[in-house]
Amino acid sequence: MSDAWIVVPAYNEAAVLGTVVKGLVERGYRVVVVDDGSSDATSAVAREGGAHVLRHALNRGQGAALQTGIAYALTRGAPQIVTFDSDGQHAVEDVGVLLAPVLAGRADVVLGSRFLGEGASIPPVRKIVLSVAVIFTRVASGARVTDTHNGLRAFTRKAASRLDLRMDRMAHASEILDQIVRHRLSFEEVPVHVKYTEYSRRKGQSSLAALRILADYVLGRWMR
Amino acid sequence: MTSFQWIAFAVLAIPFVITLVLTMRRTIARRVGLAWGLLWIAAAVLIARPELTAVIARALGIGRGTDLVLYVAILGMIFGFFTVYVRMRRIESDLTKIVRELAIRAADDPNDRQASGAPRPE
Repeated sequence: MSDAWIVVPAYNEAAVLGTVVKGLVERGYRVVVVDDGSSDATSAVAREGGAHVLRHALNRGQGAALQTGIAYALTRGAPQIVTFDSDGQHAVEDVGVLLAPVLAGRADVVLGSRFLGEGASIPPVRKIVLSVAVIFTRVASGARVTDTHNGLRAFTRKAASRLDLRMDRMAHASEILDQIVRHRLSFEEVPVHVKYTEYSRRKGQSSLAALRILADYVLGRWMR
Repeated sequence: MTSFQWIAFAVLAIPFVITLVLTMRRTIARRVGLAWGLLWIAAAVLIARPELTAVIARALGIGRGTDLVLYVAILGMIFGFFTVYVRMRRIESDLTKIVRELAIRAADDPNDRQASGAPRPE
């Protein structure tokens, strides 16, 4: 049992979102689903699962949805905030692992890493793309992490209220690391499982999308 | 004066008059109006005296006057695209703020649902 709030950004995820939300609600977490302008039953499924449901009238991207969910959880007094992907890639059990260092006061931010611990079965091309992203991030923001693009993260209330995500689309992953470094927040990485299901691979980003995300990030940072 | 020059003057007169009217009506800032006005006048001058472009080009170390016109046109277009891109990003970010504000105001809380006994209608 925990008072932590879980923010789940979702775009057309009605097929798997129900299982994700129920799994989290059953464990006593307060769940906020941000429906990012879906055209399917995402909102209805989230409501049925017992989540707080926020709906973007227009699709604004995952970064925008995360910021919306975090802002809402903060106004509701969330003591800790966890971000969790809606496509069933993450394991509900990992939330407790992620929260432990935050609850123990060891870190302001805890990041999930699929590269720590026993290496999960990551598709080879994805592995290369993610490794390049890790190197790029180390150079760009100076954050020494092993996995830059993992949707599982835990924040203390203080850390979450420092976040100000302006990269609306996918470049928010690097942006979060930038802000952790800039605000001198302490962070820790913990091993988490990422399930590469047929569904998540079809719904998720293609490895080529990395280039578009990079352009978005560089231009966004430069124009700040 | 060649017939091309007369046609070009006629075409240039249209944006010039529009700029003048907009500036006098204060629809655009006086500074902006002045910049546009100068641009149209410069274009007219260079059309009337094309050899001037060659003089400027030579002073800048560019071979021909037409090359100078080409370079300036390309630079102007890049600047234009960039300005539009910056403005577009700003509008996108404002749009996100509005969408976020609306979403938070209309948040659907599961506790309210239980209190009212039935799920809220769409």
